[in-house]
Amino acid sequence: MHRKLWFGILAAAFLISLGWGFNEYRLAGNYRLAAENNNHRALTDFASHLDQMETDMVKGDVASNPTQKILYLSQVSSKSEAALQDFAQIPADQAGLSYVGAFITQSGDFARTLTQKIAGGETISAEEEKTLRDMHERLVPVNQKVQTIMTKMDTENLAWTDPAPSIWQRLGFGGPKIAKATADGSEAPSKSVRSGLDQLEASLQKLPPFSYTGQYATRVVSKPLGLPSGNVTQNQAQGVARDFLDKVGYRNIMPEFSGESQGPLGGYMWKYKEANLEVTRQGGVITLYRDQRTIEPRTLTIEEASKKAKVALQALGWQLTLTSNEDFGSYVQIDAVVEKDGVRIYPDKVRLMIALDNGQLIGLDATPYYAFHHSRTFPTKLTLDQAERKLRPDYKVLESRLAVIAKSGNQEVYCYEFRGRYQGEEYLLYLNAATGAEEKIQRIIKTPRGEFLQ
Amino acid sequence: MKLRVRPWGVVLAIGLILSITLSGIAYATLGDRLLGRGSTGQEVNELQSKLAQLGYGVGPIDGKFGPKTEAAIRDFQSDRGLRVDGLAGTQTTTELMRLTSQSTNASGKAIGNKNIDANLLARCVNGEARGEPFEGQVAVAAVIINRMSDPAYPKTIADIIYQPQAFSSVDDGQINLPPSASALRAAEEAINGSDPSGGAEFFFNPAKTSNRYIRSRPTIKQIGNHIFTK
Repeated sequence: MHRKLWFGILAAAFLISLGWGFNEYRLAGNYRLAAENNNHRALTDFASHLDQMETDMVKGDVASNPTQKILYLSQVSSKSEAALQDFAQIPADQAGLSYVGAFITQSGDFARTLTQKIAGGETISAEEEKTLRDMHERLVPVNQKVQTIMTKMDTENLAWTDPAPSIWQRLGFGGPKIAKATADGSEAPSKSVRSGLDQLEASLQKLPPFSYTGQYATRVVSKPLGLPSGNVTQNQAQGVARDFLDKVGYRNIMPEFSGESQGPLGGYMWKYKEANLEVTRQGGVITLYRDQRTIEPRTLTIEEASKKAKVALQALGWQLTLTSNEDFGSYVQIDAVVEKDGVRIYPDKVRLMIALDNGQLIGLDATPYYAFHHSRTFPTKLTLDQAERKLRPDYKVLESRLAVIAKSGNQEVYCYEFRGRYQGEEYLLYLNAATGAEEKIQRIIKTPRGEFLQ
Repeated sequence: MKLRVRPWGVVLAIGLILSITLSGIAYATLGDRLLGRGSTGQEVNELQSKLAQLGYGVGPIDGKFGPKTEAAIRDFQSDRGLRVDGLAGTQTTTELMRLTSQSTNASGKAIGNKNIDANLLARCVNGEARGEPFEGQVAVAAVIINRMSDPAYPKTIADIIYQPQAFSSVDDGQINLPPSASALRAAEEAINGSDPSGGAEFFFNPAKTSNRYIRSRPTIKQIGNHIFTK
């Protein structure tokens, strides 16, 4: 009797687990199908955008009417962005630098630079035309290779990534894996979409990069302009750190060494209790400082904190103008820039953080200042009235000044800054001080934390 | 002589009292009264959801002011520089409502929250650098922002984060956990331009990664458990 009962229970449990297993299997199949569909869409879109890019590039090259040239070249840059977006969705084994991605972005960026040049009334130089043609030459085989992968997907049912090594291979009995073939760029037939794209990467890696002045010419500053010359030793750096901590409120203490950092602005890292700071090897100046101590309830207003910020800057030896602040509740973040002869130089920026319980400096970021600060000469400019006349007639100006702002590509532009209102919105309009052309527009919005520029 | 209590009189009285009190509760909003341990009601619901929106986890939003809600209020008060007492009084609720309000343009028209990117970035920072010092969290967020200006990577934050195999917390689902308040702050600082990583584009935990490609890249510095490389 008992045995029959147990048998019944076990049989029921077995049937339930079979049913559950079948349901899971069906669900997994659905998910796999949905993922497969998305990957397929990404690859197809990638191939089609690449193809359209190639066509638009030759059309942009042959067009002689500036308007037509602008039309096709701007399509090249928008298609390149779309292609990059799709490329980022294709399954990968591991992410790394992508030469295919870099090439597509550079082509789009170069097309955009040309478009802006033509839209500004200039013509393309012979050298730029040659670069455009070289880019097209390089794009054609990329386009062909991607289409080959797509055909193989349809005919041979390629997998997305290389299959994981089988048990035989893991034990060492199998032959060399496909990855070796793709790494040296040989034309062995690829067994998966991923390895096909890796072969493409390897072939692009061998080619020299394009040189032109565009947005991506220099991403990080290779040579900081504002650092004093001469290197300091670790001991000297410790002295600098101790003096700084003394000025911000930690008297008579010795900071401990916590590591080194590499790079043009690299140096020695120090810490004391919950404060961390970094002293550069070249010049021996403080670039980063952050104090993570617990902050008591606030007693200061933002205005009082701004005054304390000015005092702190002067004690540290800087002559800067405060520009904006952001309220983080227990501390306020204040930006300060160099102002010379009435010209505000925005790239030379120092960011401070002041605690709102006792007004102490709890954060400093002087990296932009030391990266970009140098003495600048300003070309002849329009007068303020001449510049104002170039604005929209219904733009109501609230403040105006001269400024230097950064444009894409680490370039600087000498401008007139006009803060004003138009149709209920507030903007910062930057007009080139020499030509009066509109260089940049920023919209001012009020967030719960302060003013924010978009 | 006994006072004769009429049945319908009792019913009327009870109905009147109930309607007054219930209507009082139904129209109460956040800030009307002091909320503390044991409070319940619609205002507690609102309090909890606003705290959760700012990254102070309160557990399930159930309208009951329990220990988790009190801990979240304490964290919020300490972060904002208010007096830490665990009670939601006028100062605390005003600050809470101000921070969760929408951004406005110069004329005061509400234009939305303007922090879509910051939220996703904060989730990624939370997944990757949960126990790290604050500088380390800002540095992780800065790595993602740095990738935006590199031509080899996609151009938007969402594309970079969701690139397959780029971040382990995306591949294993940890990115779907709600972000902590410090992760949100770190994301906002990085979007504002802070970069304690020194221009890094990769980071890894040497005790947890055996990826040879990342390990071969030139090191910039180490913050906490993460090494940041070019």
